[in-house]
Amino acid sequence: MRARTVLAAVGLIGFLLVILVPFWWIASMSFKTYEQLQFATSIYVPRQFTWENYVGLWTETRFPLWLRNSLTTALVVTLVTTVIASLGGYAVARLRFPGRESVASLILILYLIPPALLFIPLYRVLAELGATNSLSALFLSYPTFTVPFCTWLLIGFFKALPEELEEAALIDGATRIRAFVRVLLPLAAPGLVASAVFAFTLSWNEFLYALVFIQDERSLTVPVGLNLLIYGDVFHWGQLMAASVITTIPVVALYAFIHRWMVEGLAAGAVKG
Amino acid sequence: MHRDGSLGVAVARPRAAGRRPALGRDTGTALLFLSPLFVLVVGLILYPCFRAVWLSLTDKLVGYPERFVGLRNYEYLVHDDAFHQVIRNSLVFTVGSVALKVVTGLAMALVLDAVVKGRTFFRGLFLLPWITSTVIIALTWRWMFDAFPGRGFFNSVLLDLGLMDRPIAFMATPAGAMAAVVVANWWRGFPFFGVSLLAGMHSIPRELYEAASVDGAVAWRRFWHITLPGLKHVLIVTTLLSFILTINDFNIIYVMTRGGPGSATQVFATYSYQVAFGQLRWGRGVTISIFLAPLLVVGIALITRALLRERT
Repeated sequence: MRARTVLAAVGLIGFLLVILVPFWWIASMSFKTYEQLQFATSIYVPRQFTWENYVGLWTETRFPLWLRNSLTTALVVTLVTTVIASLGGYAVARLRFPGRESVASLILILYLIPPALLFIPLYRVLAELGATNSLSALFLSYPTFTVPFCTWLLIGFFKALPEELEEAALIDGATRIRAFVRVLLPLAAPGLVASAVFAFTLSWNEFLYALVFIQDERSLTVPVGLNLLIYGDVFHWGQLMAASVITTIPVVALYAFIHRWMVEGLAAGAVKG
Repeated sequence: MHRDGSLGVAVARPRAAGRRPALGRDTGTALLFLSPLFVLVVGLILYPCFRAVWLSLTDKLVGYPERFVGLRNYEYLVHDDAFHQVIRNSLVFTVGSVALKVVTGLAMALVLDAVVKGRTFFRGLFLLPWITSTVIIALTWRWMFDAFPGRGFFNSVLLDLGLMDRPIAFMATPAGAMAAVVVANWWRGFPFFGVSLLAGMHSIPRELYEAASVDGAVAWRRFWHITLPGLKHVLIVTTLLSFILTINDFNIIYVMTRGGPGSATQVFATYSYQVAFGQLRWGRGVTISIFLAPLLVVGIALITRALLRERT
């Protein structure tokens, strides 16, 4: 029993180091001056702590614009995804219609199709719609991975709700649509929040589609913009680190908020890894 | 009025039969609710899939009309040495990182299982890499492996410990670059295994362990004969899922190495991108990803079967 406790403590410390050291390395670099980075002084902890990278990032680069683009995209995609996925998820979980099982499998299959397979033909389709090189390319393409995933997640949530409540509403004379909006949606709120946070995170972090579909530097999202900062000017390591810190914060905050539900989703084996 | 009446009947009947009728009743509503999903799926997933197959049969160059060339793109790639290297790299990258993720994930689940206080907190903390943007993870590990001591973590530490006398340019050698991208992918992915396996462990009936303790089985025998077999299902699903996502990885490799040095870390997705957007050969670029399709179909079929069985 004692051996087990010691082993667990050692393991815990080991994992904490593995997880936290890279985060700390980036965060500490973001608070170092240009000279500290250039001449490798105060390597592990920035002695003489500076905000100059954050200030520079905000005033000298297009980062604020990229941040706004990322936020707009993530919010629009989250909204669209939540509407489509809650309607679809409810239909598959609760409505009786021929081919219901096939629709459920189709959604799961679509969720597993990797974006790396689709970026070239999707680019062509978007070009034909006149939607490339602007955020609308992302509004249209991101739901191709957020919707299957969130629908799959919500099917599970809707199935877990007690059927009697909805039946009671139907007996009281409500239509299917009314029962859905008035009874089921409020009950599924935790599921909707979890699904919205996933849609937001997936959009916020997406890279490949944004890289391929948008060339105009003013329409870039943060992940692609960061990539420009590296190759554009190799001397701005500090700003790059500051940008990484700022970009990570909103997702961590959201996630801290829903993490219990998220882990349940994970346990269902329904989450990308 | 009329509507309410008919609905009343519809509900009353299945009440008597115990269930709503299997066919017909909700089909209209279902069509209405599923229509946005269908528009999205057909227009932006299935149609592009079809276009991908068509493009792979053409010699489409950007700026020129597409010309049907039959299987010439496939033939070219089968004999292309660069593509052979891409296949080898992808396998090394995928098998290497997935194997590491399985082992580390299992260790993480065992550690968390043994932690009594604050397990939820640590579980959340350990998941941080998994919610962080892969681009930022790639950037982070690029700096961790950087050749310059002030920026590269490993060089700083190894020099300070006196284990080497001059910095090593890890990312400049083929093996070093491959190791670096594997490590970055592993770090992002193992927490997912850890959390899934922990959930799997908690669904193994307690009585099995109690019975084994009574029989005097030592810890590693309990692990070998109860825990591992109990985790079989979760392990298979997570491994397949991770395999599919890892073999299609683009972000980590593109940001860390751009497929280099030379083409030492070029994998399917980065090669496809390079051919399509660097050389502007769209037909051939698409064909590269289509070569993965048979493997994906098998993987997806296995996962779908396992997950659907679990849910019903």
